[in-house]
Amino acid sequence: MWIDRKALAAEIPAAAALETRQLCELLASLGFPVDGVAVREGSEVLDVDITANRGDAMSHRGMAREVAAKLQQPLAPLAPPSVTEGAPRIQVRLESPACPLYATALLSLGEGATPPETQAFLRALEALPKHLPAVDASNDLLHRYGHPTHAFDADRIRGAVSIRQAKAGETLVTLDGVARTLAAGDLVIADEAGPIALAGVMGGEGTKVTESTRRVLLESAWFDPKSVKATARRHSLHTDASHRFGRGADPAMAAVARDLLVHRLQSWAGATLESAWTVGGLPPAPAPVSVPEALLTRVAGEARPLAEGVEALRRLGCTVETQPGTLVVQPPSWRHDLAIPEDLAEEVLRLRGYEHIPSVLPPLEGPPLPLAAEYLQRQAVARRLAHLGFHQTVTYGFISLDADAAFAVAGNPAEGRTLVNPLGQEYSVMRGTLLSSLRSAAEQNLRQGAREIRLFELAPTYTSGPQGPAEQFTLGLIWGGTLGGEDYLSPARPVREADLSGMARDLGLARLPEIRALGEGLFGFELPVADLPQAGARIIPTFRAFSRFPSVERDLSLLVDLGQSHETLTVAMRAVLPAGILQDLRCVDVFRHKSLPEGRQAWLMRLRFQADRTLVGDEVDGWVASALAAAEALGAKLRA
Amino acid sequence: MEHLLPAEIIEAGRAFPEALAACGDLDALLRLKGEYVGRDGSHAARLMELLKAAPKEQKRDLGAVINGLKQQWEEGLKARQTELEAAKKQLNALADRWDPSLPPPVPARGALHPLNRLMDRLVEVFRPLGFHVEEGPEVETEAHNFDGLNIPEDHPAKASSDTFYLAAHPELLLRTHTSPVQVRTLLRVAPQLAASGGIRFLAPGRVYRKDEIDPTHSPMFHQVEGMLVGRGIGMQHLKGTLEYALRALFGPHTEIRLRPSYFPFVEPGCEVDVSCPLCDAKGCRVCKGSGWVEILGAGLIHPNVLRYAGIDPAEWSGWAFGMGVERMAMMLSQTPDLRLFFENDQRFLNTMGGLD
Repeated sequence: MWIDRKALAAEIPAAAALETRQLCELLASLGFPVDGVAVREGSEVLDVDITANRGDAMSHRGMAREVAAKLQQPLAPLAPPSVTEGAPRIQVRLESPACPLYATALLSLGEGATPPETQAFLRALEALPKHLPAVDASNDLLHRYGHPTHAFDADRIRGAVSIRQAKAGETLVTLDGVARTLAAGDLVIADEAGPIALAGVMGGEGTKVTESTRRVLLESAWFDPKSVKATARRHSLHTDASHRFGRGADPAMAAVARDLLVHRLQSWAGATLESAWTVGGLPPAPAPVSVPEALLTRVAGEARPLAEGVEALRRLGCTVETQPGTLVVQPPSWRHDLAIPEDLAEEVLRLRGYEHIPSVLPPLEGPPLPLAAEYLQRQAVARRLAHLGFHQTVTYGFISLDADAAFAVAGNPAEGRTLVNPLGQEYSVMRGTLLSSLRSAAEQNLRQGAREIRLFELAPTYTSGPQGPAEQFTLGLIWGGTLGGEDYLSPARPVREADLSGMARDLGLARLPEIRALGEGLFGFELPVADLPQAGARIIPTFRAFSRFPSVERDLSLLVDLGQSHETLTVAMRAVLPAGILQDLRCVDVFRHKSLPEGRQAWLMRLRFQADRTLVGDEVDGWVASALAAAEALGAKLRA
Repeated sequence: MEHLLPAEIIEAGRAFPEALAACGDLDALLRLKGEYVGRDGSHAARLMELLKAAPKEQKRDLGAVINGLKQQWEEGLKARQTELEAAKKQLNALADRWDPSLPPPVPARGALHPLNRLMDRLVEVFRPLGFHVEEGPEVETEAHNFDGLNIPEDHPAKASSDTFYLAAHPELLLRTHTSPVQVRTLLRVAPQLAASGGIRFLAPGRVYRKDEIDPTHSPMFHQVEGMLVGRGIGMQHLKGTLEYALRALFGPHTEIRLRPSYFPFVEPGCEVDVSCPLCDAKGCRVCKGSGWVEILGAGLIHPNVLRYAGIDPAEWSGWAFGMGVERMAMMLSQTPDLRLFFENDQRFLNTMGGLD
């Protein structure tokens, strides 16, 4: 909301002495940060951010009340020339509890125009003057005092006026030119021919003030915030009036705003007051709120004199009575946000300043709870995969129906996971797989020239169920492109399906997941995180004795069939080797070349032995011979 | 005597030293050897033929000259052979030696996602204060997402323009914040609260709002919320905790500033700023010259939130805070475009998420 510094100073003269920067800091400290400052119409205007609970602050007067309370300086008196009420000229009937109070006046307009300074004020606030005094005066009041008013062309009103619930199906063309079909919950102002305004939201086209208007009927009412908010939302009509009534206008301002409007029309447009009258009365004030001293202390962070609370709340317009250990507070009519003791304790703190809150660490009662095993497990898997060269991704939880269908799984229909209001078709269903998103990310990387893709994601996937989608944290992994070739020891070759099998096995899985070929040389798998082995709970593992004697290594270069299983071979070799002494058995090189016999490849198997004594060459030779014999039994041959 | 030798032999004698020096390897030397002292067709063989054909009285002198030339060539070739063999040996020795200035083999480089790294870091920061981690589903009920948090029925956040709803389950939505985890946790712990003396936890996770994708908005993003419930908990404990945590995160000289604000689930509510960690509060592009950066929203838990969970606000109180992970990551890393976090370009992930 824009606030004009000159208009603010008219309400709180002490604000004029502040530099703009000081004023901005003061407003921010009260909870009204300033997003920007501009110079318009010869005055500085501040773009003030006002939270949704502070309808009372949405005007220059409202902002001035805050500044005055903080500075402990008086507001300028608000004393409009009083209007003497008389007999109603048009019958006004209140037929809904959503409008308990309706102050009005009937005036004949004379000649005259909106004063230039008012036009400049409205332009500075980006509210274009209409050059119709009845309309401009209403807008002027709205911005200065925050109470929305409305002027009807009185000669276009037919018969009595009633404030009532709309009948479903009734129509109204609003001031924006839109023909609206009304709902039964809408509160309307109606004449005997039908609705003429959406109460508290927008007037109707049929009774709007124009240059040919000669008589106006003024409206300065109080409408129930819930009713106004619901109507504004139903019709997507978010107006200056609905924002203020929807957040709670000051009922005590209704008659005052009417009087101010009458006075402006008399002085600007030479209007003649035919009569002013009020129907209904103020809505009942809420019950006073008891604020315990202990609450004031807890919220402030330290004990403060009770008198400080009394003083602060009175400065904000509250009526305060003191009882032992308690303040009994009646908030002012403009503060609908002060309903519970915490609200009032916050006000005392706010006026004192949040910068005065002491800084204390909370006492720790009882031992801290451990981190959940599943959480630690995901962290451990992520770190392990990152160390193995994989990049962790974060992709959207929703995908397109087509992408979901490409990975469809029986028993997980997309209908149970589909959004009713997606951002677009490509984001329409909560995904049942991570592989689709990973494949998109991998393809994007390939297009960008990456030679090898290693990506994984740990995120929920969704399974349709009768109670809604069930969520399951899933690990998805994708690998593809060209492996190696980036240093002199690693020859380049394409990533193979077998590489993913090895990776899956390396994660310690009891059961290998299905490896899927995803095109463009990409392979992937996914599995529930719950299927991964648990992260070790022990911080310090149990000591295992190790030998301090030297180990012995032997290499066996074997010719084996191209179809030979590495696992079969190593199991057979291990079976004939002393379990406690064999420390390692692994294939350290694979050689395939046309110089080798057809259908054969060479594997260099490395064996490492160690015991709690020095090993003798002969016994090692014996073990190696046994291992060779076991390999030969599977068709392997020692390479010449 | 010289006139008895043919011109080609005299020329060969002159050219030999130069030809010898030009031999760069043993193969070239072998070829030169054949040319000068080989059995057939060499310069030496031609000289022997001359000697045989020479008149008897000249044979002695001619023989002496020829022997002298042959000896000169053989000695020269031998010496050069020794030289070249030594050089080859030296070269071989070099070839066998590993050049320590070669770079090591490059292991594949991976990375944690920067958003996950930041969330992990936040957990590390709060862990010493006794906070554990609570998690909840991303598909939530309206009750957990709004009602339990004192968000009124007519709040605009409930509209389909702001929140994603499930077609087959109208009561379900994609959570708009991680606060439903607070509701779920409070409901669960309420019966044991007296025995435990309170609870304190972080709720990190993904949330969804119906925002178009642009450099500063995304329909999915991350939050980390924190909550503490105990006896006699007030604003001083919120400030003390945040001061500790934000200094651990941004540096020991970081200042924090609380400003009044409004959120339906806290009372009082506040925005929390930190002194700009990028310019030491001197004023820069990130803090828009103010020296302060807004980092999170916080406040004392609204009594209605406690009541919803069956916790008596007269006995228990607490505070909660919530921060946007992307916003903080963008600020700290000076990443100019939010979309980079979701494109998963390995080049970006490499620069942003290296392992500690």
